[in-house]
Amino acid sequence: MTLIHMNVLMAFSMSLVGLLMYRSHLMSALLCLEGMMLSLFVLAALTILNSHFTLANMMPIILLVFAACEAAIGLALLVMVSNTYGTDYVQSLNLLQC
Amino acid sequence: MNLFTSFVLLTLLILFTPIMVSNTDPHKNNKYQSYVKNIVFCAFITSLIPAMMYLHTNQETLISNWHWITIQTLKLTLSFKMDYFSLMFMPVALFITWSIMEFSMWYMHSDPYINQFFKYLLLFLITMLILVTANNLFQLFIGWEGVGIMSFLLIGWWFGRTDANTAALQAILYNRIGDIGLLASMAWFLSNMNTWDLQQIFMLNQNPLNFPLMGLVLAAAGKSAQFGLHPWLPSAMEGPTPVSALLHSSTMVVAGIFLLVRFYPLMENNKLIQTVTLCLGAITTLFTAICALTQNDIKKIIAFSTSSQLGLMMVTIGLNQPYLAFLHICTHAFFKAMLFLCSGSIIHNLNNEQDIRKMGGLFKALPFTTTALIIGCLALTGMPFLTGFYSKDPIIEAATSSYTNAWALLLTLTATSLTAVYSTRIIFFALLGQPRFPPSTTINENNPLLINPIKRLLIGSIFAGFILSNSIPPVTTPLMTMPLHLKLTALTMTTLGFIIAFEINLDTQNLKYTHPSNPSKFSTLLGYFPTIMHRLPPHLDLSMSQKLATSLLDLTWLETTLPKTTALIQLKASTLTSNQQGLIKLYFLSFLITITLSMILFNCPE
Repeated sequence: MTLIHMNVLMAFSMSLVGLLMYRSHLMSALLCLEGMMLSLFVLAALTILNSHFTLANMMPIILLVFAACEAAIGLALLVMVSNTYGTDYVQSLNLLQC
Repeated sequence: MNLFTSFVLLTLLILFTPIMVSNTDPHKNNKYQSYVKNIVFCAFITSLIPAMMYLHTNQETLISNWHWITIQTLKLTLSFKMDYFSLMFMPVALFITWSIMEFSMWYMHSDPYINQFFKYLLLFLITMLILVTANNLFQLFIGWEGVGIMSFLLIGWWFGRTDANTAALQAILYNRIGDIGLLASMAWFLSNMNTWDLQQIFMLNQNPLNFPLMGLVLAAAGKSAQFGLHPWLPSAMEGPTPVSALLHSSTMVVAGIFLLVRFYPLMENNKLIQTVTLCLGAITTLFTAICALTQNDIKKIIAFSTSSQLGLMMVTIGLNQPYLAFLHICTHAFFKAMLFLCSGSIIHNLNNEQDIRKMGGLFKALPFTTTALIIGCLALTGMPFLTGFYSKDPIIEAATSSYTNAWALLLTLTATSLTAVYSTRIIFFALLGQPRFPPSTTINENNPLLINPIKRLLIGSIFAGFILSNSIPPVTTPLMTMPLHLKLTALTMTTLGFIIAFEINLDTQNLKYTHPSNPSKFSTLLGYFPTIMHRLPPHLDLSMSQKLATSLLDLTWLETTLPKTTALIQLKASTLTSNQQGLIKLYFLSFLITITLSMILFNCPE
């Protein structure tokens, strides 16, 4: 695989590690999620344009749409948590009672 | 090439002149009233010429003027149909309007907006003539709506009075319900016969015509105050007396009957519609005659009398005699307008007193008005050889000698005798006996502006029936031979009504007034129809629609069914089934270790 591909894959794995190992704020997990989506988009767009795989031209766009929806839901959850506890510290999510 | 069409169009054009000088000087000063009156007189004379020419040659004319628009296959032009009906109606309507305008110069003398009043009356006359001369349904609809609007503006003339506003709104609403029928018929004619022209409709006389004819009957019921859509007519007496005389006795309320008369080629083959109109007219005439028996307002009695005569015209249409109905329209206009003018004279002279229990003894004080009132009432009841006789008697004869619904016939005959009863009531309470009004009112009927219109209409009430009947071209052959008892039916019922009413009035004159009995309450409160129908159906309709829109649609279907139910189910399920603690960081760390371990394991052997 080419250097570009390895570059973007590194970005993806960086965001993945950042998502799974965050310190105290829920917001940083959401940001890393966005970073993963972004790197996936770039990877897919590069590969498809490089191999002239025209049929799959739609895939990155659809991916983006769903990423936007999921970002909205994530932010809504963040707002709910923040409304209840005042901050978005993850330590306060230890009860998970509705 | 004669000047027939020119004179017809000149008549219509003359009437527009006072409207066009609206914003200029003549409109602002006192001369405007005489100007409008003289214009209507000129239009009357001009309209007599085509009428005479028609009587001489019996040639109908169609004037097709200006092509307005062609929408795909529908061509709309400005076309006037000058046939028997419109040519006979125009001089009659113009004559009566001329007399009423002269009368209102006396009646509305002290009104500051009298010029606007005359303009409104003239606008009404123009729209009525548009309706009468229309050859296509679009022009007829323009005239139809026009008379409705002018009726609203004129009934609510004294708009500071709540009752007047309510009455004007009531007139609009009831007319609107009738307009639904007219619009439905127009839509049917457009989609099935591809036209709104009367000629094409009559030529393409198809067979199952029930739907459009029922629509036309509904329109006529709304405009001509048949039973079910009748309460607006007595309420319309809130307007000034000239308005009641012009609109609600001679001209506007006959627009519905005129519509049905226009469409007689379609109705003469349809037995169902004839039965519907017959029964509707019979119910109307009897019901309104019963309501007229115990009213105390002189204008309301005359309004109910109008409504009863409209029911009689509807009965005539139901008997397949459109020409007789039209003759009754013309003759009825004369004596009904005169009755209203006489009541206007009485009202103004008694200082705006409209209750007949507070009148009396006007026989010596207002001799001319008394004469006119008595002759008008006699003409109304069909006294032989006055005007009403020449149209009412043939109607009753046609009814008794045709193969028709016996029950409708009985109702009509009862209503005929009740006509005599309430006429006697008016004469007895308003004119005879000792005065029951305060003696400080100055009673003076010496004004020529008052006397001349009533005099003209009086001569019309006496002779118009004779002149019209002997001038019109014969169209249907009337039945010439019938048994003597059938011939004398109308006269007998009327005389019976007169005698009974007079005897009862004389006998009970000095008795004490006890509590009103149940039939009396039924009659005075108009059969409880307005009381029930003006409150209950609107309340039910509005509350049902509010419940449907708010509770059912918004709250239930859009809110509760999917969104709130889904949220509720998810909530319950998650509280029931989860027993996790929220150690998110540890969980995410375990994900990371698993992913790296599996990537190392599955990549190494390669």
